[in-house]
Amino acid sequence: MIETSSPVDRPRSRPGKRREPGGLLGIALVVPAIVLVVVFKLIPLVRAFILSLYETQGFADPTFAWFRNYQGMLKDPTFWGSFRNAALVFLTLPVWIMLPLLLALLIFQRVPGWKLFRAAYFLPYMIAPVVVGIMFRQILAPDGPLNAMLIGIGLAPFATEWLNGSSSALFSLTAVALWAFFGLGVLTYLSGLSTVSDEVIEAARLDGAGFWTLLVYIIAPLLKSVIGYWTVLCTSSMLIWMFPLIYALTRGGPGKATMLPEYLVFLTTFEFLDRGRGAAIGMALFVFAAAISAFVVRRMYAEGKGRT
Amino acid sequence: MSNPSMASSAAVTGSSSPLLRGFIRWSITFILVVVAVVALYPLAFTFVNSLKTRADFAGNALGLPTGLTFENYVQTFGRMNVPQLLFNTTITTAGGLFLSTVAALFVAYAVTKLQLKGGNWVFLFIISMLVIPSQVVIYPLYETILNLGLGGTYQGLILSYAAFGLPISTYMLVAFFRAIPDELVEAARIDGASELRIMFQLMLPISTPALAAISILNFVWMWNDLLLPLVIMGGSEKTTLMVGVALLSGQYDVSIPLISAGLIVALLPVLVVYFLFQRQILSGALAGAIK
Repeated sequence: MIETSSPVDRPRSRPGKRREPGGLLGIALVVPAIVLVVVFKLIPLVRAFILSLYETQGFADPTFAWFRNYQGMLKDPTFWGSFRNAALVFLTLPVWIMLPLLLALLIFQRVPGWKLFRAAYFLPYMIAPVVVGIMFRQILAPDGPLNAMLIGIGLAPFATEWLNGSSSALFSLTAVALWAFFGLGVLTYLSGLSTVSDEVIEAARLDGAGFWTLLVYIIAPLLKSVIGYWTVLCTSSMLIWMFPLIYALTRGGPGKATMLPEYLVFLTTFEFLDRGRGAAIGMALFVFAAAISAFVVRRMYAEGKGRT
Repeated sequence: MSNPSMASSAAVTGSSSPLLRGFIRWSITFILVVVAVVALYPLAFTFVNSLKTRADFAGNALGLPTGLTFENYVQTFGRMNVPQLLFNTTITTAGGLFLSTVAALFVAYAVTKLQLKGGNWVFLFIISMLVIPSQVVIYPLYETILNLGLGGTYQGLILSYAAFGLPISTYMLVAFFRAIPDELVEAARIDGASELRIMFQLMLPISTPALAAISILNFVWMWNDLLLPLVIMGGSEKTTLMVGVALLSGQYDVSIPLISAGLIVALLPVLVVYFLFQRQILSGALAGAIK
């Protein structure tokens, strides 16, 4: 599949080039990376698939069971619940895309102190999600500061047990994740905005373009690829960013209200000790996540491939 | 990046009347301040709580402390071996960062400047491993580490970090190397420099921006990761700071001020790194590289 073993030099088109032994040295240089990803990513993936075909209960010897784990998984309401929850999380995607964009546009106006705002917004991203989760356990507590503030400004009916309601818990989890990651989006958009040249804006303004005209006709088209990138990144990562937050905030509860596929894999494998079933759920998550992140890979490949 | 010192020239709201413009700018600032408060308040809240006594917190959970106490920090250090955990996190993050970067550097050089045959395939193979997140393969990964005799060792975690950081590191260095003209390398070859020397003494120094971006991205996730150290190290001596904090918060008799102190201890190193490298992190080195 991968051509790494041919030491034959490609014929050189340009004259006067001294040909160093690209072959042997080149192969030696790519070996460490290939070994790393094969041993710690590809082999575990293959083993996950094989494991998913075995019935394992506790510490008993696994027995080959064809696709019985998958059948059991598909009959399990918890499995469907976890993907239904994931779908609900995905419904918030427009907020994940628009909120950082809006904030980036506001920062781009360069009001005094814009650099401080940029620094403050990125700070949550630097903090470990597990720390974020434990922090928000206090913020969202029934007698915590969020409810105190809601009551203080006369919105008492909205004060609720954020982490204990069957629908508020998933909402809270998603909101905390957004808190942790929006800064990365703001920074991504700002880097896109920085490619919009001042001259273009100046020229459009001299032609009498107003704020909305500029936004819709000049800025949005230039930002299209950055918006696309951020959308794909959010879509592919939403399902795998949540583990430490769930671990610290809700452990999948109350009931199964915040059970997402990645947490279900962990729970099934390490707490119910049903490794075969855990691997089967993992494969389902893999198919789902891989289909989306293939877009990221395609984009990266287009940018880094050489002329052939 | 367009010149940031040209204060408002890039502003989109230029053409309105001065009064309206003033109003708009004040509204913008107001919104930005509100969001900044939302972003920073949880940290301030945690910090303030970490300085309260149990009794103080019980009577006054939301306000400022009536008196400062460092008892919570003393207890945090008593309940978890902070220096050991810090050492574990530092050595595994540094190891993962180093291995991942060196392996990516080798690949990038071979693929872009040695014109390795099938180089595009190697590149595609490595970046396509991005589609395998650790959550999906966590148990077989753990089994593989055990089979290699690396269970509960620094090496096991370091190699995992390196492998999971590799796709993005490789992508960034390859994209960066593509932009460096081949003539530069040719000239060095004609001067008789060996390939390894060209790689380390020519390519490495000019790659500083890409290396900075890779290091920041990988540092943040490796330092903060929970799942890999939780599964590979568990609650052992060699576990990391984040696992330590997660386990501390799970103890039945911890008070909120105590766990707050634990959280501050856990996020302090990252805050220090953020303040030290703020310019590199925010100036677009990171965002530019992940375009």
